[in-house]
Parts: sequence; structure tokens; C-alpha cells
Amino acid sequence: MNAIEVKNVNKLFKKPYDKTLKGRLISMMRKEKINEQYQALDDVTFSVEKGEGYAIIGKNGAGKSTLFKVISGVIYPDKGSVELNGTIMPLIELSAGLSRDLSGIENIKLNCAIYGLKKDKIEEILPKIVEFAELEDYIDVPIKFYSSGMKARLGFSIAVHIETDIILVDEVLAVGDKDFKEKCYNKMIELKKEGKTIVIVSHSLRPLKKICDRALVLKRGKVQAIGEINEMISMYEKM
Amino acid sequence: MLEIFKYKQLLAFLVKKELKIKYRNTALGYFWSLLEPLGLMIIYTIVFSIILRFGIENYSLFLLSGLIPWMFVNHSVMRGTKSLTSNSSLIKKVYFPRQLFPLTIVSTNLVNLAISLLLVAAYSFYLGVGVGFKGLMALPIAIVLQFLFVLAVVLLLASINVYFRDVEFISSLGIRGWMYLSPILYPIAKIPEEYLSLYMINPMATIISLYHYVFYGGEFIGMNYLLYTAGFTIILLVISWKVFDKLSRRMGEVI
Repeated sequence: MNAIEVKNVNKLFKKPYDKTLKGRLISMMRKEKINEQYQALDDVTFSVEKGEGYAIIGKNGAGKSTLFKVISGVIYPDKGSVELNGTIMPLIELSAGLSRDLSGIENIKLNCAIYGLKKDKIEEILPKIVEFAELEDYIDVPIKFYSSGMKARLGFSIAVHIETDIILVDEVLAVGDKDFKEKCYNKMIELKKEGKTIVIVSHSLRPLKKICDRALVLKRGKVQAIGEINEMISMYEKM
Repeated sequence: MLEIFKYKQLLAFLVKKELKIKYRNTALGYFWSLLEPLGLMIIYTIVFSIILRFGIENYSLFLLSGLIPWMFVNHSVMRGTKSLTSNSSLIKKVYFPRQLFPLTIVSTNLVNLAISLLLVAAYSFYLGVGVGFKGLMALPIAIVLQFLFVLAVVLLLASINVYFRDVEFISSLGIRGWMYLSPILYPIAKIPEEYLSLYMINPMATIISLYHYVFYGGEFIGMNYLLYTAGFTIILLVISWKVFDKLSRRMGEVI
């Protein structure tokens, strides 16, 4: 059974030029198009096997992030379907989502609660998260005082410790120093060995080779190619 | 609709967080949830029992027993309307039922309401009015009705506000008019007979008068109005929930 099954997914973004009533009336009178349309995803079909490392690569604006959001359920596709077998954990940037006024520890708890963890389970993994993030001294400080590297460390640490079947990673690893990056890659390889499915959305290619088995190349919302990771990367570099 | 029960833990956590953050960086902290209605009570008492004389016995108690529940409506609607737009960064990143955001705001205010009602009860006993057994039975009905009704309103406003931010402005204006159309500053008895049935369309009229019944020793509004309000609340809640679900589908992209 496949962990992720994406079938014929289409997503069209409509952006009105001017959202106010006045703007709309004027456009209607001039018989202009009211919406600007943009095909973000065009008939995307692929599947990810259980326990596989899968990369989604493409240039800026290729639709990677949209695909990421469709898989994680934030955006509904216009057409097509996404099937998930197992629980999913999108790795989100902590800096954006969570409450700046709460301390590191409270943010960990909140994040765990978002993914539906029970209280005793949260207590159990809490020390592990703090240790992995190397934030023992700052864990009671509100995260508004954290540096971006600290936030990224905390975010990553939470994501890998919550037990889920599928982990989605969107280029958040760009932050964090070299040592921590190394630690993250090792952790992901370890998780993969445990049988978890990892999907990485990225345009930085070097680390992908170690973690991923297969890749999908996206170009302007369309699937360009699917295949073995090294082949895909060399193809992408020629693009 | 049942999906939301899986997120009990998260709701409890979010409510705790809201309570903690709401009064952070204030010197008086939690006391503000009591001081605010008390301050308003003093202002209205001066205006309506000294300057404009209504001639109502124990006017300050009458006012307080309607004003405290009204503060719940006011805060829930004002903050609830913005509850989705102010959490846009979270909504864009991760999926969980978005109903949780308005639900958190209304639940947080429910905690404040419960605390403030203790104050009203204490004041009622102090003035020698007191809360009787029948009143005690009616209180949960009033609270549950009010909670569900306000939740329905907030769900509707919050979800539309994602698409049209105009709702924020409309609701802050509307809430003021709504307050004057509810029996908070004056009793229902002041409403001319021919307008009464029109006046009672507003479910808050029934709900506030229930609070008067509990804490002020006011008259019971009657079963007809109570059933009407309960029916109205349930129908509105179902509609709001459906609308919210429908609007929720595209929230991740437009917010």
C-alpha cells in the first residue's frame, strides 16, 4: 500500500485585480476580466511508497509549495484527490505559526496538541524534544526572543519527535548551523530506517541524495519527470 | 461536526493560552475581567439613575446582571470575528478544524463570564435580593443558550471576515446597536406593547431577561419565548456550521 497517493490534482488560483466593490464595478463596466488566473498545479499524479524518501524538486514558482499544502490539507484541490495512509506531520516554521508570547516549552505543548497528542504522551516526549533542539537553557523564554536558528531547531525537533507515519519537510532546513543540519539529516535517515515516509520539498539538492530514493520534478505546475533521485537531479540541473 | 471532539485537548490548551496572554503585560492581570464591567456599571448607573432617571429599584444590580452577560457577547463577537484572520499564519501552514479558533475565543470568554457571574451573585445577596432555587435551575439554561447562540454568530462572522474584511467594521458598529436593542439599560417592560413581539425576535432579549430572572428577581419571560430562542439558536448554529465548512475549504489560500 502506498503512503501517499496523489491523483490528477489540479489547482487554479484566482486573484481578483481589485477586491473592492468599486473596483469590481469599474472592471465590469469596462468588460475586463475580473480575475487573474494562474494554474498552480496541472494534472499532478504520483505516489509515494511506505518507508520511502521522496523529493519534490522544482524552481521557484513551479508549484512545490502549493503541492505541499495540498498534501498537508491546508488547500483543497479543485480536481483530483489526495489519499493518505497514516498520520501526517508537516514540518512548519515555528517562527510563523506559533504564539510569540509563549515560552519554548508552551509552544512545544501547543504544537503537540495541534497534532492530537494526549497529555501523557506530550510529557513523555517533551524532554527529548528539548534535548534534541539543544535549547535547555532557553526553554522557558518566550520565543519572541529566540533567534531564527533557535526557532528552526525547535520546530524541527518537534516535528521529528511526534510519532507520525509521514513527515513533510518544506525547505525549513535552510536555517540552522552546519552541525545542526548534519544532525537533522542523520535524524531523518534514522527515521526512514524506522519505516517512516519522508517527503521533502526543496531546491537545495545536495542533502536530498542521502535521504531520498526517488524524486519528482515539477515545472510550471506540471510533472516533468519521476524517477531515481540521482537521475532526476542531473536532469533538473540541465533544465 | 463531531470531528471537533477529537481536539478537546487542543481546545483546552488554546483556552488556557488565551487566558494567559490576554492580560499579559497588564499590572492588574485577571482583575480586568471584573474591573471592566464594574467600570461600565458605574458609568451607566450615574447616567441612567442620576441624570436620566429610569426609576428602577436596585438599578445597579439590574444593570450588572444584564451587562456581565452582554460583555460576554461583546468580547466574543469582537475578538471572535478576527479569530481566523489573526491566526492566518497558522491556518496557512497546518490543517486542523478551523472552527477551533472561534470556539476558543467564545470558550475563553465563557470562563470569564463564569467568574464575573459569581460577582453578580455576591452583589445580589449583598443587596438582599439573592438567588433562589428556581433561579439556580434557570442559570445553566441561560448560559448554554447564550454560549451556543453566540458561537453560531461568531462562526458566521469569522468565516465571512476571511473573504471580506468589511465584517470587522460592520460587527463593531452592529454590536453597539444590538446592545441598545437588548434589555440591558432598561427593562423589557418599557417596550410599548405593539412593538413587543418585534422586539423579542432578538434572542438576546430572552437570554438577558433570564439573567434578570436569576440575579435581579425579575419576572420569568415565559416558555414561548424560551422555546423560540432555543429553536432559533439551534437552527442558526446548524446553518453557521455548514457555511463555515463551506467557506473553510478555500481559507488556506485566501487568508
